[in-house]
Amino acid sequence: MKTPILEMKHIRKTFASTVALGDVDLNVYPGEIRGLIGENGSGKSTISSIAAGMQKADSGEMRFRGAPWAPVSMLDALDKGIGMIVQESGTIQGVSVAENMFLGEMQQFPGPLGTVDRKAMNAKADEALRSIGVQNVSGATPMAALDFQTRKLVEIAKVVMKDPEILVVDETTTALSQEGRSILYALMKKLRDAGKAVLFISHDLDEIMEVCDTLTVLRDGAIIRHFTKAEFDADAIRTSMIGRELQGDYYRSDFTPSRLPEVAVKAEHIRYGAVLEDVSLTVYRGEIVGIGGLSHCGMHPLGKILFGAIRPDAGEVVTGSGVKITNETVAMKHRFGYVSKDRDVESLSLSASIRDNIAIAGMEQYAVNGFLMLNSRERVYVDKQIADLSIKCADRDQAVSQLSGGNKQKVVFGKWIGRGSEVLILDCPTRGVDIGVKRAMYQLMTELKNQGKSIIMISEELPELMGMSDRILIMKDGKITREFARSADLSDAEIIKYMI
Amino acid sequence: MDNEAILRKYKLRQKLINILPVAALAVLFTILVVTVQAKGYRLDMYLKIVFNEGVVLAVVATGAVFIYTLGSFDISLGASTLFSATMGVMTYNATGSLALMILVIFGAAVGCSLLSSVLASVFHIPVFVTTVAMMSVLSAIAAQIITTNGGAVGGISIPSALVKPLDNMGFKIAALAVFWLVCFFVFSFTKIGRRQKFLGGNPVCAQLTGIQVNKYAIIAFVMAGLGVGLGAFLTLVYTPSVTATTAGSIGMNIVVAIVFGGMPISGGPRSRIYAALVGGFSYILLNNILKLLIDSNIGYGVSQIVSAVFFLAVVYVTGLNYRSQMLPR
Amino acid sequence: MKKALALILALVMVLTLAACGGSSTDSEAQTPADEGDKTVKIGVLVSDVSGEEALGFRAYYEDYIAKNYNVTFTYTEQLEDAAAEKAAIEKFAAQGYDAILSLAASDRATQIETCEANGLYYAVVSGMLDDAQFEQYKGNEHFVGQIGPSMDTEYEAGYAMGQYFAQQGVKTVGIYGAFIPNPMHVYRTAGVLAGLGCTYGGASDKDGIAGQLFGDQGVDMSKVACGDIQIVGYFQGFGDTTFDELFAIIGQQPDAFLSVGMATTFFADSLNGANIPYSDIDSFTSGNAANMADGTLTYLAGKYSSSIGPIFAATLNAVNGNPIRDAEGNAISISQSYLVATDSATFDSIFNGDKGDSPIFSKDVLDTVIGAVSYDDFVKLVESK
Repeated sequence: MKTPILEMKHIRKTFASTVALGDVDLNVYPGEIRGLIGENGSGKSTISSIAAGMQKADSGEMRFRGAPWAPVSMLDALDKGIGMIVQESGTIQGVSVAENMFLGEMQQFPGPLGTVDRKAMNAKADEALRSIGVQNVSGATPMAALDFQTRKLVEIAKVVMKDPEILVVDETTTALSQEGRSILYALMKKLRDAGKAVLFISHDLDEIMEVCDTLTVLRDGAIIRHFTKAEFDADAIRTSMIGRELQGDYYRSDFTPSRLPEVAVKAEHIRYGAVLEDVSLTVYRGEIVGIGGLSHCGMHPLGKILFGAIRPDAGEVVTGSGVKITNETVAMKHRFGYVSKDRDVESLSLSASIRDNIAIAGMEQYAVNGFLMLNSRERVYVDKQIADLSIKCADRDQAVSQLSGGNKQKVVFGKWIGRGSEVLILDCPTRGVDIGVKRAMYQLMTELKNQGKSIIMISEELPELMGMSDRILIMKDGKITREFARSADLSDAEIIKYMI
Repeated sequence: MDNEAILRKYKLRQKLINILPVAALAVLFTILVVTVQAKGYRLDMYLKIVFNEGVVLAVVATGAVFIYTLGSFDISLGASTLFSATMGVMTYNATGSLALMILVIFGAAVGCSLLSSVLASVFHIPVFVTTVAMMSVLSAIAAQIITTNGGAVGGISIPSALVKPLDNMGFKIAALAVFWLVCFFVFSFTKIGRRQKFLGGNPVCAQLTGIQVNKYAIIAFVMAGLGVGLGAFLTLVYTPSVTATTAGSIGMNIVVAIVFGGMPISGGPRSRIYAALVGGFSYILLNNILKLLIDSNIGYGVSQIVSAVFFLAVVYVTGLNYRSQMLPR
Repeated sequence: MKKALALILALVMVLTLAACGGSSTDSEAQTPADEGDKTVKIGVLVSDVSGEEALGFRAYYEDYIAKNYNVTFTYTEQLEDAAAEKAAIEKFAAQGYDAILSLAASDRATQIETCEANGLYYAVVSGMLDDAQFEQYKGNEHFVGQIGPSMDTEYEAGYAMGQYFAQQGVKTVGIYGAFIPNPMHVYRTAGVLAGLGCTYGGASDKDGIAGQLFGDQGVDMSKVACGDIQIVGYFQGFGDTTFDELFAIIGQQPDAFLSVGMATTFFADSLNGANIPYSDIDSFTSGNAANMADGTLTYLAGKYSSSIGPIFAATLNAVNGNPIRDAEGNAISISQSYLVATDSATFDSIFNGDKGDSPIFSKDVLDTVIGAVSYDDFVKLVESK
């Protein structure tokens, strides 16, 4: 057995009321790409961020190359050999690529009279970018001119330039296209082959299984199991992630489209700037309508228009009974609910409690005589949603900001389902949600459909569109290009044709 | 330590921090009583003075809680108090009707508030911007009226006998209690209060939950206007005259009162209706204690400095609570 | 739970305040002051804590009177409005004070009523009540009286200043209106305009000009019409643009700069430096002595610091059971004019005659009116200095 580069022993970390890590041991060996996988809140990001100096453990011991390891910051850790590429973008917009890469270290390029030798700095930045395979960006380019993916690559170059012994990659690939991903994968392999190590954190099981040599599964702040490449098995990994066998089906088990005869909502000839051109659709009760397309096809604004949150330039949205939806208040009065793609900003008040977030939409449900609000009745109402949706929380008064992504989304669902929404407009409902919760969401949607409710699911993920919808509307450049009925024979390839 | 224990400890700390403002009020109250007794001063009078000093602040700030809850800010409340009182005095002197005077005071106060909020919603600008303009306009108009009509006396007044019968604890407590209970009811037992708290926490999300931002801003400003009206009336009950400096310190004191009451100045879900009452009296008690303990001959401003240090300490401690720790994914 | 607790505590607090406050306002009536060893406690209400005049007054009371008589003076902080004045009086009452001397003027009527209600003797130290107000309160038992410049006196002081410069033959002047609409400054400014031979909005009399100045909140230059004297600039208040306004006037090199107050505090350096003769209505202090000797201060109308001695004596008498009342049993009201110095010699004779340990109203002088004295004797003494 090789000596580990990094040894972590008895690491503990708590956040307020939550134990993020309880006594975790983790070794990272030279020449391996180790995957870290687990549900939201399992502790995978916490353990790696402690190793990379982003935060400190409450207790425990770390040794790096045999010596005690206690970085004071991420920069300190990077200088000493562990670099991390974080999920959120860590670049500064106003300055050049090179300035971003050599932030705080420009003195290594001394120019005359205490200035910085920009030429030398830009050249060094170019070199670093080329070395990871980024060709079309130079050090002198202003950061703001780059798209999100390229900025991410600059960040990667910045870390790799320091030649770290261990590279931590935290859910970075979600920001990258296929091309960006191949650059990153190649880089990881190069590091491994040079006898260094990579800690790779991802939600995507397929990706992890393809890229990693070994895999560690975390759950509830503890390490559940290590897998070697030979032991990789999707079902086994998934089972250890969620702690039980996945029961029943993931998506809907039937393949026949079904609906009730009554119209629930109808949009006619919607136009909205250059975003939507003459879009019409009808959704029936008891129907799940999927809307798919590329991110900028206009489907996200369409969701808001259906809810009355955006007023279209032309056309109208009417309920089954013919009432025109002019704003959110009217929409809610007719039992519409809207789950935004931008959950933390548009669907939740993060600083408020679970109770506040759920109760706010459902006050009519428990108000006495339509106006008197009693805490006792509110608690009963909220607790029912927490129980029905099995929201994992300390109690109803916990701030939503302290919940994991999946549980946050459950709170959003609770907010709308509790008030008896008849039409649910769900924009990317399973985004950033782990598989356990995802499955629960799908089951819930099926249940709602069976109760006669209508669901409009806007999604960028084809599998869930195909798995859940009675009908799929595909959009491109602000128009509906094709409608598919639910069928077992639908293929990705055919659908994608109408998107691009 | 297991999960349960950590959770218990966390909740206990939250509870302690929540109780802190009230505990501080109790402690300050005790210190004042002890100090006054130790110095041989008349406690009954002192308590009356403290109440008189605090009641206008408590009333105006309680109304203002509705605005602060929205995460908004009204810098014109002091000027609006002055303006309403001025209009009231002018009305009485012109008509001799007490009822009309009271009506005009409340009308002017609510009118100013409504104007701020309606202008803001018409022109789509943050409401505190309009309140800045209102502040200048209202104090200028009031000063103009006061100096033009006050002449050599420097102020305008109603006959002191007119409202003297009301200058007693019974009436003022009743006025404070009624207003506070109305606010408490609206804030805690109707949809209005809940929606305003939610709006303050995240206006975008609130809008997407069918809450009309403008409607609730206007309601908040009307509530604040009622507080200003009552505050202006109580000011006249205490001193029947109005000068250009009347209620000048109210605007800033409201902010202090709300912070002392343990409510974040940014409003939102942690807003409390009792913050203004608790904080307002705490602040007045603190000021009086400092004035009793610090010899005025040491120099002007010493007690203000100590009071400012207290303020920062309170902000820090309450900050401990909502500097929320985020779980990384 | 915690909310309920908070509520209960808050209510208890308010109720306790109420119960204690409401119960026995008059249970321990003010102990009647008796002659003897008891130190007389006097509270002083102030609205200006930093002006030359205020500091001079304070030094006289605290450093001279308090050492020579068995009294203590307690100054309030800067009182901003009527409510603050009333609260300050009530606090003095709660602390067992005997009398209030007032230098604050937001609402003197309420001050008198509050003192009356709390059994405190009350006197206006500097300045005078409006005539109607004085009529209303002059019979109040605890109202000792007022000694100081009336609004007529203020107008006269301004008029004399304007007239002085007109007679000097100045052709161009700048005017500083201090803190108009403060009534004192309004009347002084009205006087200055009249004294220079100007009319304001057609009016040339005291009430005609002052009334319009109150309405205009300052001097509207378009309403000013003068003979052969030209007013090159006017400003008032103190803020961000004050010095810009001052320098605009200095730039025109006027023959004189007339101020109705505070100029020696705010602008002495600038005016001395620009070599522009200036005048002020202030007080006889060392700072002003220097400005007159070495600078360009050429006219100063002022009170001397010990001018507030007699009102103290009258108050002390009242506390000790020897109130001075006029023939009809009313409070004292004596108008005190300003002294004027236009050269260093005059200034110094006034200033040096009223310094630290040897003020004009020294213990020896005041003792002649302490105890049982007649109204006429008292008036005679005040008017003698």
